[in-house]
Amino acid sequence: MKLKILWMYHDLMDLYGDKGNAEVLRVRAQKRNIECTVDTCTLGQKADIADYDLFFMGGGADHEQSLIYEDLIARKQNIIDAMHSGTAFLLICGGYQLFGQYYRDQDGKTIDGLGIFDYYTESTDRDHRCIGNIAVETTMDGKTFKAVGFENHGGQTKNVSTPFGRVLSGQGNTFGNEYEGFMNGQVLATYMHGPLLPKNPMIADALIARALKKNYGHVELAPIDDTLENKARETMLKRLKAL
Amino acid sequence: MDIRLKIVQLAHALLQKAGRGGSFPGTLALKMDPDFIQKFKMPPVVILVTGTNGKTTTNNLIAESLRAAGLRTINNRRGDNLNVGIASLLAASSDSDFNIRADAAVIEVDELTLYRQFKNLKPTHLIVNNFFRDQLDRAGEMETIIRRIQEVTEDFDGHIILNGDDPNTLRIADTAHRAKISYFSVGRNALSREQTDEASEGKFCPRCGRALQYEYYQYSHIGRFHCPYDHFGVIEPDVYIEKADFGNQTFTWQGKEFHTFLNTIYGVYNCAGVLAVMKTLRLDPSFADQVFSTFEIKEGRNERFELSEPCYINLIKNPTGTNETMKYITGRSEDMNLCILLNDNDQDGHDVSWIWDAHFERLNIPNIKTIVCSGLRAYDMALRLKYEGLEDRIIVIENAKDAVHWLNEQHMLSYIMATYTALHSTRALLRREAGK
Repeated sequence: MKLKILWMYHDLMDLYGDKGNAEVLRVRAQKRNIECTVDTCTLGQKADIADYDLFFMGGGADHEQSLIYEDLIARKQNIIDAMHSGTAFLLICGGYQLFGQYYRDQDGKTIDGLGIFDYYTESTDRDHRCIGNIAVETTMDGKTFKAVGFENHGGQTKNVSTPFGRVLSGQGNTFGNEYEGFMNGQVLATYMHGPLLPKNPMIADALIARALKKNYGHVELAPIDDTLENKARETMLKRLKAL
Repeated sequence: MDIRLKIVQLAHALLQKAGRGGSFPGTLALKMDPDFIQKFKMPPVVILVTGTNGKTTTNNLIAESLRAAGLRTINNRRGDNLNVGIASLLAASSDSDFNIRADAAVIEVDELTLYRQFKNLKPTHLIVNNFFRDQLDRAGEMETIIRRIQEVTEDFDGHIILNGDDPNTLRIADTAHRAKISYFSVGRNALSREQTDEASEGKFCPRCGRALQYEYYQYSHIGRFHCPYDHFGVIEPDVYIEKADFGNQTFTWQGKEFHTFLNTIYGVYNCAGVLAVMKTLRLDPSFADQVFSTFEIKEGRNERFELSEPCYINLIKNPTGTNETMKYITGRSEDMNLCILLNDNDQDGHDVSWIWDAHFERLNIPNIKTIVCSGLRAYDMALRLKYEGLEDRIIVIENAKDAVHWLNEQHMLSYIMATYTALHSTRALLRREAGK
């Protein structure tokens, strides 16, 4: 089996260790003898997104976000084609925001998002951000579990129809929100850094399974040793009294 | 005489007598009087030191150089760079009427809070080392830090000394129109590279947004760069270091040989910054060289403890500093054990994701035998190393005391890398373990 991952704007949208997510997907696929490639693509480079099984985009500061914005909008049709072709998406923070209707930064400047989903994001002032460890409970492809991460966002994302998880501790899409992120059967969009995947191998495996579905239908992934992963996650869940 | 000042000074004197330092007097002072710091009549030379990495070292090198040149100098030598630490320093150095008894003050100031204290401290000089990704949840986005420093230096008419090889610090020159700007820069040397996998910030021209072109990188995004469109980065350095020689620990400036206190590239940058300060003060640079030749980095900066075999401890707090520390450690060829202490208390930063931005694959060399992961986030660290193929060499000992004891029992050279809050407690543990 082959798994083709596209890591978009790897050099610009890479805050708070998001690069770790690409590494986790690659290693966990390889451990199942899946031939995995991670290609990168940045400003001005050509790539056919529909040709990939998984699209990953991380977060960036406002400055970086403004640099990639036009390039991303120019790829809108290609992104829609990819969704129709069955590509799975992992979008963190800035990536999450830019798939919505618009993003308004702390100076009131608004940039249009790709407009693929109904949610929109408005930033608070510079001194108020949702920052801290976060725990959520989510259900992915029939399995319910708890996940941990670190959120750090000024953006308040509203009008989310189908969130990623229920907040057990932390803020979520807006200050004190009951829910975090956005998810449908194909797209997982979240504010959770940490990075997200190392401590939450269940999410990593669910994403790999979703990506493989594009070419291979339902694939059952063999279990692997996650002792350290589980210890690291449980340490945080315990501290957040969310275990 | 100000009674509140007197109380603070008394508190300081009592703590000194009890053999304890700390910033309690400053906390007390600011509680009684939030405007405490701005009351002081500062000496004729006030040098503020800021940036992400190397502040404490630069601060001490400058202060020692000024002392060598005969100036009575005060400085917050332990790196107490927040309001309370600075208030403590000033109270301890003043008479009862807020006059600082010194010719010069060298003050390390946290880059996040600099904008609040800048005017109160009445600086004559500001030196900015570098800006890297630091504990990001504490720092917020670097953009905010730079913008705030730009705001307070806009009408500053003193000296600003900038690392000319860092596109982030150079941005301050674009907005500080009234200041006298000096640059320091380090020429190509054995460690310079044409390509890098370390740079994470400052890849783009802040003026036009296009990619910067680098002739060479020294470490992280530090190097000689320019924007081909608007010439951002084209500078005439006031101090330009040549022939940096890491074997002999020497370099030259204007044909004269100097010594360095540490055989690393960032050590050379620290020296370059100090020389630039000396130049603005028209002081003989040989005073600085005396200091460079004898200066010892203390307290968690490659500090040595005599366990059964030598054990060195280093502070780590962000990817760039950690990468440089690892380069240094992996330069040794002896068999050794490592211990990484990762905490996530307030002063460490609650977000430990920065470990994913650091190049831990460097530790994958055969003479590193075991890596002990310890601290509050020991399992996060272990997991990070697992992804560098080090799984077979990791052990997790969450308790720092047990980890230090384990190192001592192995009878092998060891290095500890510890985050801020782990550092001081671990130093105490090492002293005790060494005394057994």
